[in-house]
Amino acid sequence: MKLIIGGAYQGKHAFAKEKFGFSEEQIFLCTDTAIDFSRPCIDRLEEYVLACVQAGIDPLEKLKQQDLSDKVIICMDIFCGVVPIDATMRLWRHTTGLVCQYLAKNADNVYRIYCGLEQKLK
Amino acid sequence: MIVFITGGAKNGKSSYAQDLAVKLANGGKHYYLATMIPCDEEDRDRIRHHLVDRAGLGFETLEQGRDIAKCLEHTDKEGTFLLDSVTALLLNELYPDPTTWKLDPAAPDRCQAGLEALCGQVKNIVLVSDYIYSDAMKYGEETEIYRRGLAQLDRFLAGISDTVIEVSAGSHIIHKGGIGL
Repeated sequence: MKLIIGGAYQGKHAFAKEKFGFSEEQIFLCTDTAIDFSRPCIDRLEEYVLACVQAGIDPLEKLKQQDLSDKVIICMDIFCGVVPIDATMRLWRHTTGLVCQYLAKNADNVYRIYCGLEQKLK
Repeated sequence: MIVFITGGAKNGKSSYAQDLAVKLANGGKHYYLATMIPCDEEDRDRIRHHLVDRAGLGFETLEQGRDIAKCLEHTDKEGTFLLDSVTALLLNELYPDPTTWKLDPAAPDRCQAGLEALCGQVKNIVLVSDYIYSDAMKYGEETEIYRRGLAQLDRFLAGISDTVIEVSAGSHIIHKGGIGL
């Protein structure tokens, strides 16, 4: 598994396409609590986590049940701001952090995208 | 040489960029492109702080809050330029009319063209931006236009730069190239 993290608009999606040769059709964009695991690349994982948190689902448990070994997963770094006042957003940040730690630990490679540039963390 | 410096707020980017610009100038002419258009006393305080911070470093200051490439009309292209900051420049271009504060969606592309013209013509330039992309917030549409626009400029500048530096707590991480000084 490969994990790509980075802040908003930093070029994570474009990096995945360039680095791993994905077409748009091969990249699943998370919008709710459902993920199409038939696709090799899963983007906007933070949106999946947010939908899960809002629906009372534990996304980490869900992800642990999946074989992600061949996947490229993209998640936004949302961890450097002020602690959100709103409880749901706070839980979102917390849970996304736990998910990223789990994925990073199990990933072969972790990339951070910064201003469109690749930084290999693992 | 084009050097792009970014990072979180209050980490010492401006001071680091000033020192770097002075070194790159190597005794030659160096210009400070001041981009902030002050709105209130807090802004004026920040400007005073920056003026004190760079006093004695030999910069010639040019106020250029919009139309950044226009500074070329009054400067020597063989000099070294410090643009602080891309963030303020984009904000001014996004709201060109301070009476209506109507957002101009063409601002990021216009800024990019101006920066491309400027960076392409001068001997040395150091540009400072702000990394505002890693918080757990859902912003309103105008703020997202601003964040997306700034990220567009950051990625563009990082692409054309010889050196890209992230400043964190006064220390620096080199993402591309080297300083070679």
